[in-house]
Amino acid sequence: MNLIQATKLGTLKMIFRQIGGLLIILGYAMAIPLVVSLIYSEFYSATGFLFSGLICYFIGLLLHKNIKTTTEPLNRHALIIAAMGWLSIAVMGALPFIIIAYITPVEVAQQFVPSTADYQSSLFYFRNPLHAFFESMSGFTTTGLTMSVHEPSIGKGLLFYRSLSQWIGGAGFIVLALAVLTQSSGKIAFLLYGTESSGERLRPTIIDTARSIWKIYLGVTLFSFVYLAVGTYLILPEYNLTEIIFNSINHAMTGQATGGFSTFDDSIAGYSSRPMEILHFLPMLLGALSLPFYFKVFYDKEFKQIWKNLQTCSIIISCILGSLLLSWMLSKADILAEPYRDGVFQYISALTGTGWQTSNIHAWDAPSIVFIVMGAMVVGGAAGSTVGGVKIIRVLLLFKGLFWHINSYFFSDNSIKVVKFNEKRFLPDEMNRELAATATFVFIYITFVLIAAFITYYLMGPDYSITDALFESATAQGTVGLSCGITHPGMSPILEITYIIQMWLGRLEIIPVLILFRTIFLGTKPKVE
Amino acid sequence: MKVIIAGDGEVGFYLAELLEKEYQDITLIDKQSEKLAFTENKLGIATIAGDATSYKVLKQAGIKNADLLIAVTSVEPTNITTCLIGKKLGAKYTIARINNMEYLVDKDTLDLRNLGIDELVSPESLAAREVKYSLKSPVLTEVFNLYKKDLYMMGVRVENDAPIINRSIAESAQLLSNSSFMIVAVLRDGKTLIPSGDLVILKGDLLYFVASDKGKEKVIQYAGKKPIKIKNILIIGGSRTGKYIALRLGEYYNIKLIEKNLETCNYLAKNIPHVQFVWGDGADIDLLEEEKISEYDAVISVTGNAETNILSSLLAKDHGVKKTIAMVENMGLFDYSQKMGVDTLINKKMAAANFVFRQILKGRVLTQLYGIRAEIQEFTIKKNSKIINKPIKEFNFPEDAIISGVIRDGKGYITLGDFELKPDDTVFVFSLPRSVKEVAAFFK
Repeated sequence: MNLIQATKLGTLKMIFRQIGGLLIILGYAMAIPLVVSLIYSEFYSATGFLFSGLICYFIGLLLHKNIKTTTEPLNRHALIIAAMGWLSIAVMGALPFIIIAYITPVEVAQQFVPSTADYQSSLFYFRNPLHAFFESMSGFTTTGLTMSVHEPSIGKGLLFYRSLSQWIGGAGFIVLALAVLTQSSGKIAFLLYGTESSGERLRPTIIDTARSIWKIYLGVTLFSFVYLAVGTYLILPEYNLTEIIFNSINHAMTGQATGGFSTFDDSIAGYSSRPMEILHFLPMLLGALSLPFYFKVFYDKEFKQIWKNLQTCSIIISCILGSLLLSWMLSKADILAEPYRDGVFQYISALTGTGWQTSNIHAWDAPSIVFIVMGAMVVGGAAGSTVGGVKIIRVLLLFKGLFWHINSYFFSDNSIKVVKFNEKRFLPDEMNRELAATATFVFIYITFVLIAAFITYYLMGPDYSITDALFESATAQGTVGLSCGITHPGMSPILEITYIIQMWLGRLEIIPVLILFRTIFLGTKPKVE
Repeated sequence: MKVIIAGDGEVGFYLAELLEKEYQDITLIDKQSEKLAFTENKLGIATIAGDATSYKVLKQAGIKNADLLIAVTSVEPTNITTCLIGKKLGAKYTIARINNMEYLVDKDTLDLRNLGIDELVSPESLAAREVKYSLKSPVLTEVFNLYKKDLYMMGVRVENDAPIINRSIAESAQLLSNSSFMIVAVLRDGKTLIPSGDLVILKGDLLYFVASDKGKEKVIQYAGKKPIKIKNILIIGGSRTGKYIALRLGEYYNIKLIEKNLETCNYLAKNIPHVQFVWGDGADIDLLEEEKISEYDAVISVTGNAETNILSSLLAKDHGVKKTIAMVENMGLFDYSQKMGVDTLINKKMAAANFVFRQILKGRVLTQLYGIRAEIQEFTIKKNSKIINKPIKEFNFPEDAIISGVIRDGKGYITLGDFELKPDDTVFVFSLPRSVKEVAAFFK
């Protein structure tokens, strides 16, 4: 065997070993909805989770324990692992949907449908593996687009599994794997950590950093749960208490992950209560703030971060200004009964990438849709949080770069044109590097959104317009999850696959996926020109 | 008094030179024996070649009985270590030269005194402080504080249109009548004169005043100057001194700093806020014109090269800059540069040496001024002294010396001819070196 083949095999081994680790964790994670299914006596669902969990666990174990590797990891390997890892998670994560859809008898599934309603259980859509894959990808990437038309009709176990998948996907599977599987070597841990999050080191070791991230994440989620449960109880005292707890847990998880799956048929609008909508502002906002920011405030006690942190401040300011502007545009269009109620909720939901829906966006006028796409969904929340989009910090950097460029014409030739951004001072070279990387990313991002919008335009139903196509494409790529109705079990499979790829790209910030494609089609040799 | 100085650099040499005149027992430690040989020849003091952080070397220097250990090498950790070891080996008082501003600002963090360092001195930051004071009163060539906010010492150059030119001090006495300032010395052609009433003031004289806070403005009027306000500053040279000036003043003035070395320039640009940095040679006239030197109110030249600094300052003067400050480490150039028209000189080693003197000698010799060979001494009047309750103009005071201010009950007073001394007054006397002993005898 020659040397090149040996290295390639070593690389493959290393990649599969790491993916094995991720699958083991996925297997463990499926035990939680198993318990929930048992609590609600959904035995078919429980069986489904048991089998899918065991399959994931054993495949993972096979890959992780049996492959021994000595290959020195490189940056590109980490990126390939991230891309492949997320794909495998989404594929394997689809198993419970498929298995449960097949083994649950029709009459049992029909029991999940609320007694007042009269429709077929949405569970059976998942007998189509593509729909199950879509749902799983939408879950783990915290998007929130869904194939379960009537959510409550898939059973509590699966509802909980959907929320859990968003919650785990939010803080990151790889980060979780690093926190739990301590045997990763320092270098691969460092490289992997950088692929999925802001790469900010909070503790001297990556393992400790990953654990801190998860502790904070868990902490904020628990806070959201208590907040939602108490809030719901106060606002809607006539509600069933166990329902309140179940809904609050699910919404706390999907809110913190800015995922947007809901336990209701029509999302947060299902409460039909204005105070309940206001109650849900906070979890969305908390989810859009960067986890390192929480760490600095609560662990390092840097309270001045609350008003000094650029990202946090910009998100709050954008939420206020953007939601007012959107509401105003909607009231001008004069379509909705309550433009301000819908405008504010939808803007925050879109900017934070949550995707809880209270309004029929399909009915909106074109300017409002374009505004929410460009001014909220493409922008997204803070880097280092669970949101999609290009991240607000990149948008700010581009604007700062523009001002800097204009301003530099007013300096003398020999001046060092330093620029200050986010408490850091950049020399011209450094700033140009940052700008180039950011601009390239934003450009690719928008290009993908546009390409997908065109694909949507040719494959969607006749009721929709080009702005609807743009909206649906942006929501998939920004892992937002708001929908104007194009996403539906009856949609074209090609379009469905397009959105699956977009969600995957959106969660990983595109580059890892492109590197994976480069490796598959062109190999690992550098292209010399 | 036994003094050990570690580091035969500019500061060390200058300190040794000053202390040698006052005290017998000075030992200088340095690693370079050629340097030491030069110093030994020049000053006739004891020297030891070796590392000041070594027990053996310190013991050899007689650290056991040393009253004072001054570590002024250019390497900060060496200075700190030397003082720590020296203190443990028996030195009574230690002074370390440092570069890291954090140690000065956050004194309590380490509690250096407890560790064994009694005083810290940073020549660059002292120089920056002088620049700061000097920019506050830009028409003065130098200012320093004699006593609290009551007494200042300051220098002003007399120019063409001053009303006092070609008149004796006695003739312009009516301008002095409000007793808020007095002339204590005149520097003319490199010679220091202690004025008497009939001294005629000529164009180009550098007058030294002692003034109260209110008197500062009057001094400026008296010398025929109009107050100017500084807003835009051009600093030439990103030396350590330049860096401290930029750091200290960046918030209050519009500052542009020119530095020759690109790496240094980038480093400074990255770390110092509110200051605009330009990469280029500060001695390049084209560049200075391109950077619009004439639009600046003040030009501060602090490159490592005294000649460059003087040249840039003169160039700035030529372009109409109102205030020029040059760092001149070579004391031989003081007189010429002042004569040619550099407004204010700064000198790191003199700043450091003055600071050290003030710390250790508490009163004996207060300070050295740039360019003039005179000293300020401090005396306390005894109860039964013969000179109390008598106007000082009636004293038979030594020549080439002048009483230049009194502290009474915690307040400072200007001492014109009619002033009468009282017991327990603290008197400042400004005198030429040759009268120092006579003055001391007078107050006994």
